[in-house]
Amino acid sequence: MIAADLAPLAVVLPFLGAAVTFLLIRHSRAQRAVSITTLSVTLLIEVVMLLAAPAAGTHAVKLGGWEPPFGIVLVVDQFSALMLVVSSAVSLSVLIYAAGQGMADGDEDGPVSIFHPTYLILVAGVSNAFLTGDLFNLYVGFEILLTASYVLMTLGGTAPRIRAGVTYVVVSVVSSMLFLIAIAMIYGATGTVNMADLAVKLEDVDPATQMVLHLMLLVAFGIKAAVFPLSFWLPDSYPTAPAPVTAVFAGLLTKVGVYAMVRVETLLFPGDRINSLLMVVALLTMVVGILGALAQSEIKRLLSFTLVSHIGYMVFGLAISTRIGLGAAVYYVAHHITVQTSLFLVTGLIERRGGTANMDRLGGLARLSPLLGVLFFLPAMNLAGIPPFSGFLGKLGLIQAGVDLGTPLAYLLVAGGVATSLLTLLVMARVWNRAFWRSPADADDPDPILLASKADGTSIGTSRHVTGEDTGKFAGKDPVTLLPRTMTGPTIGLVVLGLALTVLAGPLFALSDDAAQEMLDRTPYIEAVLGPGADR
Amino acid sequence: MLTVLIAMFALALVAPVLFSRLGRSAFFVLAAAPAAAFVWLLVELPGVLAADQAAPNGAPGAPPSLVIPWIPSLQLELAFRLDALAAVLCILILGVGALVLFYCARYFKNDDPDVGAFGAQLLAFAAAMFGLVLADDLILMFIFWELTTILSYLLIGYSRHRLSARRSALQALIITTFGGLAMLVGLVMLGQEAGTYRLSEILADADALAARGTLVDVAIALVLVGAVTKSALVPFHFWLPAAMAAPTPVSAYLHAAAMVKAGVFLVARFAPGFSETAFWHPVIFVLGMATMLLGGWRALRQFDLKLVLAYGTVSQLGFLTMVVGLGGRDGAVAGLGLLLAHGFFKATLFLVVGIIDHQAGTRDLRVLSGVGATSPVLFAVALVAAGSMGGVPPLLGFVAKESVFEAFAHRAEDGAAGTLLLGGIVVGSVLTFAYSARFVWGAFALKHGGPRTAFPRVRTSFLLAPAVLAVASVVFGVWPGPLDALVQPYAALFASDDAAPHLALWHGFGLPLLLSGVTLAAGGALYLLRRPFEQFQERLPSMREAEVVYRSVIGVLDDVAVWITGRTQRGSLAFYLFVILATAVVTPLTALIIFDAPLPTSFRIAQSPAQVVVVGAIIVGIIAALRSNKRFMAVLMVGITGYGMAAVFALHGAPDLALTQMLVETIVLVAFVLALRSLPARLWNRAESRHRLLRAVLGIAFGGIMAVIAMSAMASRNAAPISLAYPQMAYDDGGGANAVNVLLVDIRAWDTFGEITVLALAATGIASLIFIRGRSDHRRRADGVEDGSVDRGQELLDARGRSGAALALAARFADVPRDPWLVAGRTLAPERRSIVFEVVTRLIFHTMIVLSIYLLVAGHNLPGGGFAGGLTAGIALAIRYLAGGRFELAEASPVSAGALLGAGLAIVSLTAAAPLLLGGAVLESYILEFWLPVFGDVKFVTSTIFDIGVYIIVVGLVLDVLRSLGSEIDERSEADDPVEEDAGADALVPPATEGVRP
Repeated sequence: MIAADLAPLAVVLPFLGAAVTFLLIRHSRAQRAVSITTLSVTLLIEVVMLLAAPAAGTHAVKLGGWEPPFGIVLVVDQFSALMLVVSSAVSLSVLIYAAGQGMADGDEDGPVSIFHPTYLILVAGVSNAFLTGDLFNLYVGFEILLTASYVLMTLGGTAPRIRAGVTYVVVSVVSSMLFLIAIAMIYGATGTVNMADLAVKLEDVDPATQMVLHLMLLVAFGIKAAVFPLSFWLPDSYPTAPAPVTAVFAGLLTKVGVYAMVRVETLLFPGDRINSLLMVVALLTMVVGILGALAQSEIKRLLSFTLVSHIGYMVFGLAISTRIGLGAAVYYVAHHITVQTSLFLVTGLIERRGGTANMDRLGGLARLSPLLGVLFFLPAMNLAGIPPFSGFLGKLGLIQAGVDLGTPLAYLLVAGGVATSLLTLLVMARVWNRAFWRSPADADDPDPILLASKADGTSIGTSRHVTGEDTGKFAGKDPVTLLPRTMTGPTIGLVVLGLALTVLAGPLFALSDDAAQEMLDRTPYIEAVLGPGADR
Repeated sequence: MLTVLIAMFALALVAPVLFSRLGRSAFFVLAAAPAAAFVWLLVELPGVLAADQAAPNGAPGAPPSLVIPWIPSLQLELAFRLDALAAVLCILILGVGALVLFYCARYFKNDDPDVGAFGAQLLAFAAAMFGLVLADDLILMFIFWELTTILSYLLIGYSRHRLSARRSALQALIITTFGGLAMLVGLVMLGQEAGTYRLSEILADADALAARGTLVDVAIALVLVGAVTKSALVPFHFWLPAAMAAPTPVSAYLHAAAMVKAGVFLVARFAPGFSETAFWHPVIFVLGMATMLLGGWRALRQFDLKLVLAYGTVSQLGFLTMVVGLGGRDGAVAGLGLLLAHGFFKATLFLVVGIIDHQAGTRDLRVLSGVGATSPVLFAVALVAAGSMGGVPPLLGFVAKESVFEAFAHRAEDGAAGTLLLGGIVVGSVLTFAYSARFVWGAFALKHGGPRTAFPRVRTSFLLAPAVLAVASVVFGVWPGPLDALVQPYAALFASDDAAPHLALWHGFGLPLLLSGVTLAAGGALYLLRRPFEQFQERLPSMREAEVVYRSVIGVLDDVAVWITGRTQRGSLAFYLFVILATAVVTPLTALIIFDAPLPTSFRIAQSPAQVVVVGAIIVGIIAALRSNKRFMAVLMVGITGYGMAAVFALHGAPDLALTQMLVETIVLVAFVLALRSLPARLWNRAESRHRLLRAVLGIAFGGIMAVIAMSAMASRNAAPISLAYPQMAYDDGGGANAVNVLLVDIRAWDTFGEITVLALAATGIASLIFIRGRSDHRRRADGVEDGSVDRGQELLDARGRSGAALALAARFADVPRDPWLVAGRTLAPERRSIVFEVVTRLIFHTMIVLSIYLLVAGHNLPGGGFAGGLTAGIALAIRYLAGGRFELAEASPVSAGALLGAGLAIVSLTAAAPLLLGGAVLESYILEFWLPVFGDVKFVTSTIFDIGVYIIVVGLVLDVLRSLGSEIDERSEADDPVEEDAGADALVPPATEGVRP
């Protein structure tokens, strides 16, 4: 038995944790302990798998002992192992943050009671999507994470959340339907849903049909990954959810779509038939997305647009689809999960400290809480691609790949990528100028919390008595800790993880590169599942 | 090298702590870092200068270097190399850096805010500049380059409460990053083309590279864009004067001595080897000259001393870029000489302005008066520095300018372009002298009519830094030997037969000396005529400022952003869906047409007439659902399509699917009906007809294209489907005759595992929307509930009306004193009860539960299974609820829904994981055969346990739905009328006033 054989536990353990937290529905403290323990153990197992992955090569786990292509397999290769570790690390941080928020606000009962099982199921769904080697099971993985996300998105049932939830649910259901239709068509053409088996059999399918099936899958995944023009729903739905929920959605869900696109492009439909199309899509996603961010003043909404925009970078790498390009895309996915999530968590802190996430109404945060300043500035610069942070390194790889390709379209894409980087910097620096630098009194309509705290000059970690007229939100829950350690702690952890991506960039990039090479080769994957010699 | 670099960054990291302990004196500690590094540099210097500058790293006689691999995949290395050019820059960076930090200790007050962060940023900036010049890797150099940009942003924004400071900081950031990114692309192009990112190797190979043509030309041009923006050349010059919003030490260091020199450094770095590429000289000369003249011209118009210097710096940067970019040994010597001279005198002058501002509280040269007399030492220091700037002998500035004139005089011999350049440089130098003089006059002269400016005594420690720099301007002017030795090794890099000229105070008689004389004379005249000249400047039409262009570009960008976002983010779900479905139609359709996909040659419409009937019913159902204007009707019609699908399955010989589909459809209908009670009966207004047509077209197109694709996909099938093997596998290995069930609970149990979790979640999700304040999972027993108290309606209705009479009648018949049939039927209001329904329920409930268990157990071999069984039990519960109300439901379910969901999920998860402990695969099943009394030989497949989990979860799901959509909404609507009990909880659900009463 090797480490990769533990792969099913990445799904089973969170499910088990969910079962236990269901049973403990009225004991929020016990729920917290169970879910944090579960995710920690899961993360540990995944780290072991990742460390073993380069040596072990691609490995398939046959569930229930059924032989592929009849049963379902989980496939552990370097890409999936990396995604598992990054996503679990991020979701663990967010979980601790959310638990901390619950503790700080004294929310011992309430909708939070179903938060834990739902959250664990979400994580299990994401892990399942990363691991599965079966196209239909990928659909199941999507359903798991989507259903969990429906519940999380409408947590608390306020009117704006219900409204955003309707957009989100309907679009997601449509994308799932398109995916399901595509699976049916693919089964119709090949008679199988095992991905390795498909990789072999699809080659013999009529090229035109291949193209149709290929595009259908891409449209389905394109909605989930939020690429242009299938991305409009995202900024209208994500920002209304509670901060930790938005954070984990932003970090993980779209990346699962990207992950699926990568597998489709490399395993199922290799070759460069639609690379030019992907390049155009990448360019439009980047540019239109970041222009959207430029037009926002609400930080959460603004971040949703940068989220969409930076999906374009991943599609960029995928479209170039050389070893270096794909490797950079893999690295960029890991980077973006971490950084985008950190930014949303920090925005949650901004909302607590400043009373609002609208930059028109914010000011002076850098002086109110230098820690908050650092926590925002580092990931913001990271996102904007300022060296030596990981965002820069990923973009560097993409630019190298684009220059290597050297076609006019590739250069256009490089130019678009660079312009997006500059605009991201502009957007982030504007947030900094307004929310962090200017004095609170200069804001259009400064939030009472902001002005009140200027007077008594509180700093990090202190409690403050919030009176009824201070703000409705925290009324009756005093004293409220504005920046509790339980919330800043995981945020710091995540920001540090983002920095670690730079420090460990050498081995990580090597891993991404190898992962890209494995995927481009296809043989390791196919043979791991179907046995040696299966890839003719 | 690396130690020095790391030490500086590390000290910057802990700087805030130092400041909180020591106050402003911590600047002394910070200053020690670059000072120590400076000493280290002096120790290394002889070796560096003696080295062969062109030798590859590691070769004997090469300059000191260090390479640490970082990211091999990106060919990115931590490569450093301390060659002569780097050393020259290091002298400015470390020397001036130490002095400026030292000066800060007096410039700032102890109670100034954020000094800790400021000190840290300033020191980190020094470290970044140090790294920038040492980097021997293109990308590593870019990394430090951008770090200096970011730190400059933070430093300019120190006075964050001022809008101008914030705006200038952002402007500088965007402009320089714009150039930086262009440069990055250029560097990558260069690196990829050269096959290496090692700067020293690229330069060694420069001639071959430069000969490759357009790609390298473009790459170098892009790199120059970086230099141009960083060194504030036209048309990007405007950020520099605006950046004067920074504290004066920052201006002295970043915007005079160090950061803006980065662009010049870059030009100097690439000049040996790439100065002959196509875009080099046009860019350098045109922009450099324009900058020099514009800066000088503008400097003469400023009234703020700092802005005089700022425009002067702009001018000098243009000048420097031209000289350094000239190519050739004479340009190299003159350029580096001027670079050092400028670093010394400009930093001095800025520091002097800082002192004046600090002591006098103003920098306006129209206000300042008599400072020279009050503070003679300060005056002397400024005079020396300004003299050096103006090119007055015997100061360093003069020495450098002499060699510049010599170098360009040389070029002037080649043709008209050279002569033009020389002329331009002389004009620029005249302007320089004039504004230098104006600066001294403005800062120190006693002006007529104004009072003497109050000027406290300047402390010696405050004055020390500028004084040291001024002394350097004098000493090296008189004795330029050491500097000459410093710049010669770099000049030797240029391939040339001519011997490099030397920096010297006395060049002998010749054109350069004449030009120097002309400069001084004309500059002096211009200074004396400053009044008429100012008037002349004012009368000229003002040019359109580049800054205005920048602003309008950003403005246009914002407008475009708003426009595009407005077009795409409409906030309308219908629009988003339209785009998505249109994409889903157009892309495969295009592929179908372009690539000519195969279509089946012959096909049958239907296999049997029954299919036609069923499909016809489905279509009618769909159309009716679309046309219906009542919610309930629409749901019912959608239900018809579902039952139709069940029929299709049945006709295809799939009883399991048909059974499950029927049950699902039924339970969904119940849920819908319960939920619809709290919504208005009518649907909202329909879309306008134009949109309806468009949507109809899209809908039909989508359906049509999917049908075509399905046919095409089937037509291209070329392998037998794996499903053909399933029945045999199910029987042999799965131990069941029902292939569908074995597939669900064994072969593809992983799918089922996921899907039932989805079910559990769906139940939770619904409940969470209804129970906003949290699940209350304890059951409410019927014991304490009064008879007939639930859902009484007669108070609400007119007792004499028709409906009132009907209710009264119903109540009379239903008013049974006890409850012979259902446990909690008595709790319902009499008019809500139906005896017949209660009796039927009593009769079929247990039968259905037994049936459900049968389906569960028999499922492995016969139609059925945990899912169908669970649904059957769920429907039984639904019937109990409909007949006996919410207390009946509570009595019927001994365990809470949450516990059922949890327990079911736990059973399933444990079944999945248990085989791991036995050394098997996750979800592996085992066939156990044993003998039991009564049953005899039993063949038990462990996957049945999994199926039991499924059963429990499905029951839990139905229970949860009934509890939330049923019981809870009942309770709410009762609570709403007549007494408002719980107002807050009903924000979500509007009062249920109409709809169907179960």
